[in-house]
Amino acid sequence: VRLWWCRCWALLSRPAWRLRARRGLAAGPEMHFGFQTVTEEERREKIYQVFESVAKKYDVMNDSMTLGIHRVWKDILMHKMNPSPGTLLLDVAGGTGDIAFRFINYVRSVRERQLQRKLKHHQNLSWQEIFESYQKDKFNSLGDSQVVVCDINREMLKVGKQKAQHLGYSEGLSWVLGNAEELPFDNDKFDVYTIAFGIRNVTRIDLALQEAYRVLKPGGRFLCLEFSHVSNPLLSRLYDLYSFQVIPVLGEVIAGDWKSYQYLVESIRRFPPQEELKAMIEDVGFFKVDYENLNFGIVAIHSGFKL
Amino acid sequence: VRGQHFPPLRALQASAALRRASDEHKKEPLTSSSQHHFDPPPAGHQPEQEPQGPRPSYTGHGGQESEDYESEEQLQHRILTAALEFVPEHGWTAEAIAEGAKTLGLSVAAAGMFHSDGSELILHFVSECNAKLSELLEKEQKLVQLGEAEKKPMDEFLRQAVEARLRMLIPYIEKWPQALSVLLLPRNIPSSLNLLTSMIDDIWHYAGDQSTDFNWYTRRAVLTGIYNTTELVMMQDSSPDFEDTWRFLENRVADAMAMSNTASQVQSTGEAVVQGLMGAAVTVSNAETSWVLR
Repeated sequence: VRLWWCRCWALLSRPAWRLRARRGLAAGPEMHFGFQTVTEEERREKIYQVFESVAKKYDVMNDSMTLGIHRVWKDILMHKMNPSPGTLLLDVAGGTGDIAFRFINYVRSVRERQLQRKLKHHQNLSWQEIFESYQKDKFNSLGDSQVVVCDINREMLKVGKQKAQHLGYSEGLSWVLGNAEELPFDNDKFDVYTIAFGIRNVTRIDLALQEAYRVLKPGGRFLCLEFSHVSNPLLSRLYDLYSFQVIPVLGEVIAGDWKSYQYLVESIRRFPPQEELKAMIEDVGFFKVDYENLNFGIVAIHSGFKL
Repeated sequence: VRGQHFPPLRALQASAALRRASDEHKKEPLTSSSQHHFDPPPAGHQPEQEPQGPRPSYTGHGGQESEDYESEEQLQHRILTAALEFVPEHGWTAEAIAEGAKTLGLSVAAAGMFHSDGSELILHFVSECNAKLSELLEKEQKLVQLGEAEKKPMDEFLRQAVEARLRMLIPYIEKWPQALSVLLLPRNIPSSLNLLTSMIDDIWHYAGDQSTDFNWYTRRAVLTGIYNTTELVMMQDSSPDFEDTWRFLENRVADAMAMSNTASQVQSTGEAVVQGLMGAAVTVSNAETSWVLR
């Protein structure tokens, strides 16, 4: 315990921006891993290890770090998407399935409303016809909607599958191991592509965006929910304080893993701000690219269409 | 309203390819050698994503929809027009827009480009109806000018114009009350009011109104009132072919005509009264002066 307090004190007494950058080894383009500088390969490996170690406590940590507000953010994302039954969703870096489960719930309720409306219109059909249409619809509670959860990390997928089983989600859900920079899917397959709190961890964001463009159908939508930059100076100071002083401590206390959560807050600072990400999305070929700030820029939802 | 500016005239790759595929049997294939670009696309933009056919070529005239090129607005227009077909079933909702997008070969997610309450769809429909009305009135005016038809009396003209415009609502009449309520949302009021006033303006223009005085305002206010009330009556009219509505309309127009006569009568009466009062005042002042002088 004393060792832990020492580490705590050591970090608290150093302002975050004075953390030194360490030179990476060998060849390969230099990238950032939090505030460190590493090669591309190293970065991928380190990030894999980060998520491997946090996988089991991922949801708990999300709740404690964001005080449960991440649920609201994800709900807002779902409302923005407003999927209709029959939508095919690809959730990349969707590890523990938060977005996927919300999608299934949303589509289910929309489908129910649709069926109710249909029943109202069936007032003057024969009993036989009503029975037949009811049969057809009863076994289609999702209206042919499907969600594919793709993640690069086996541990995160494992946790996700367990959660699905535990919560009773079985229909319309698939789990695929894959890299966002090189998706194992054909062109023009999906209606919506989401990446929630994942694009920050992708090593080559431009490749991930290109892959997103590739696998989307014409008219398909790209949605990205990610931590972003707070422009309000006062709020920014408070946010920094909270991020660097509180979150790693929570990480150590709850998940026993200081370093991963240090990486988390550093990677947020290194991620491009709203306008830059918007430009990157436009460069890949998306149209009507727009972003919506949530909580003054702590989180932003970027949206684009493949037209 | 977003503070973004659209990158000028970037060709819409995916939807252009879809349209090309569907139009193939109608038009001859274009050669991509004749390319007058209105604005050169950003460098390096093209080579990266070219899974579909050759680069679209187009003549560089304005934002016109020439062979393969269309802007985002034009695509949105097409989606909304296609969506109108599904309104009787789904209402003025994002679902109808999604179905419309599907018929164009786009993903249902394209409905996300529009508001989820269907505002854009309704406004699009209203402006299309107004455009159709203008065309109709223009044609009629041409016929009158060519001497092939007789010029109608004012009340007849107004009645027919309003009826023609309201008849365009008939295919969507069941879901129109929903549309009206959406048009009254604070967000939509500027646009819907704009569309309404320009339509009324149009009708008066073709009716031959050339007033430049206060009459201009009264005329528009009166016709707007007639139109709105008739529309509401139409909502809950269940008579065959909306006979009751047209009778209501006829009565309102007759009222308006009578009122304008009354108005001019009132004006002359008013003038007469004023003159009388003036006369009385002069008499009284004369009486006073003469009394003082006595």
